[in-house]
Amino acid sequence: MSKGYTLNELLVITCAKEINDYENVILGVGLPTAAGALAKALYAPHASLMMESGIIDFEPLVSLNHIADAHSCRGFSCATDLFSAFTMTYRGFVDVCFLGVAQIDKYGNLNTTCIGDYYNPTLRLPGSGGAADFISYAGHTVLTMLGGEFVEKLDYLTSPGHLTGGNSRNDSGLFPQDSGPSMLLTTKGVFRFDAETKELYLAQIHPGITVDDVRNDVPWDLKVSPELSETERPTDREIDFVRQFAPTISMGREVATELTIDSVVKRAQQRGKM
Amino acid sequence: MANNNENKVMSAREAISRFVVDGEQLIIGNYTVGTCCEFVYEICRQEKKGFTLYSQSGVLDVDVLVNAGCVDRLVTTYVLRSGGKKGGGAVQRAMQAGTLEWEDYTNFNYNARLVAGMHGFSFMQVFEGVMATDLFTKRGFMGEDKYRVITCPYTGKKVLTVPAANPDTCIIHVQRADRYGNAQYWGSMGSVAAAALCSKKIIVSCEEIVEHDVIQASPHFTIIPAYRVNAVVEIPWGAHPTEVLGYYNMDRFFYGMFMQENATADGAKAWMDEWVYGCEDREAYLDHYADKFGLGMLDSIRAKAFYSTPANYGSAFTSAWDENGKERAMGITLKEMEKTMEERGMLYE
Repeated sequence: MSKGYTLNELLVITCAKEINDYENVILGVGLPTAAGALAKALYAPHASLMMESGIIDFEPLVSLNHIADAHSCRGFSCATDLFSAFTMTYRGFVDVCFLGVAQIDKYGNLNTTCIGDYYNPTLRLPGSGGAADFISYAGHTVLTMLGGEFVEKLDYLTSPGHLTGGNSRNDSGLFPQDSGPSMLLTTKGVFRFDAETKELYLAQIHPGITVDDVRNDVPWDLKVSPELSETERPTDREIDFVRQFAPTISMGREVATELTIDSVVKRAQQRGKM
Repeated sequence: MANNNENKVMSAREAISRFVVDGEQLIIGNYTVGTCCEFVYEICRQEKKGFTLYSQSGVLDVDVLVNAGCVDRLVTTYVLRSGGKKGGGAVQRAMQAGTLEWEDYTNFNYNARLVAGMHGFSFMQVFEGVMATDLFTKRGFMGEDKYRVITCPYTGKKVLTVPAANPDTCIIHVQRADRYGNAQYWGSMGSVAAAALCSKKIIVSCEEIVEHDVIQASPHFTIIPAYRVNAVVEIPWGAHPTEVLGYYNMDRFFYGMFMQENATADGAKAWMDEWVYGCEDREAYLDHYADKFGLGMLDSIRAKAFYSTPANYGSAFTSAWDENGKERAMGITLKEMEKTMEERGMLYE
């Protein structure tokens, strides 16, 4: 029996397995950058990790704060600009891209702009950033959804997935053939897209979760793979890597923030401050 | 264009007061890292108003300006928010209160507007995939001019375009500059150069003002040439709590504190009162920081050196005349050259 793992560790490790050796990879912030570092260290040593800020082929040494964090590595191979990072994607040089999701529909279309009416939002989310550009032109896209939701209809379509399903994305003439989202990772399982209908189905389920747990989050009749499997349990080597590289991700944002503030306050108080 | 290289070095107070004008288009040059925090705070202190603000990616800079009531219209692709359903921030509050108009673009679309503007074009082609999204269908204050579709004269295909942007003033923080305004920036390039160069006026703050020969020995780091720059301000820690490569890391604790406070209007106001209005300049801000948390906090995020390998800018010689006083190509001395000129009747009296 290998050592215990946190949910975040399972997610990072599952995400990392979507990167193949020699691929050019665009990483979004948070979990994907930790996954990229893990993949490069353990499974895909020749992958080129890239970010939209123009940081090309970097080897992160510590967990990144955001997609322009040159402080997380010791130099990198090419410093280009944002414009070129996107045009290289448009030209087809990016194999896989990782994006976070706030709202997703059954065909993998995404909303990261607003909850409620666009012109009078209940919640204003960050916006597209590079998401709509990347999911349009990367070879394929891996989605991660931690706090988001499945909906019948998006409040705003920020980033195009498989549009209305079937061949609609290919037929639109707006995207490279067979591009688009290939996988969705949530806190409960791994979803993939049906080859014909392009509808999301449950492919893997995390240990300790039931299919009903997953169905409860999905407002339509979710398809489940006849070969549904359990998400692979992380090995000690994988767990050790994540803990070494990104201890605050292993711990999770909430607990890590609480302990960080405690630590700073204690330090200041010891010096007679605050 | 006439370029007055004198008197460009000034304080943040003077630079903002002279070059940032109410009601104009203002652009934040920095992208995600090393943002021009002190310029932003000074704009708030001077109660500048009515901006159309451009920001590729809003970090605390955009929210601070919106909290201060400086912004009427926002053009952006992304604004960081305090997390969760109870989170949000100044931009969300202003949208809900109806005091802010906005236009959403993708990162590439927005940047393409700057690139068009910087090169003097009137529009730029962007990726057509956006036509399948609400970015294309839902327009803000720009209406029809947010995007227009044309037919490519070569391929006959539909081409999506965005209009050029030429904001009035760019505020930007960089690692170093000389007193003439040559501004050097390295690391995460983002859209920093385009944001500055598309603008009509550029005011630069930097961690340090260096001698001109430092610039000459490393011109590949210069993203803005002196002739485009209106003001240069030396502001150590000028981007704190964001990070500057080679100088300091992000102050995650302080940044996290801002994010927590910014989740509510009251919290944001208290934070602004303490850290923006309560400190007359960056030096006062740092004094206050040191009083409250100790200087050790800043020392712990100072960058260790990891120098770029020097590039060889040397050439075979720097004079047309060799060590024997002979011209390198013709093989004669200056005296011999002048004699030849005379002998061949080449000289006019």
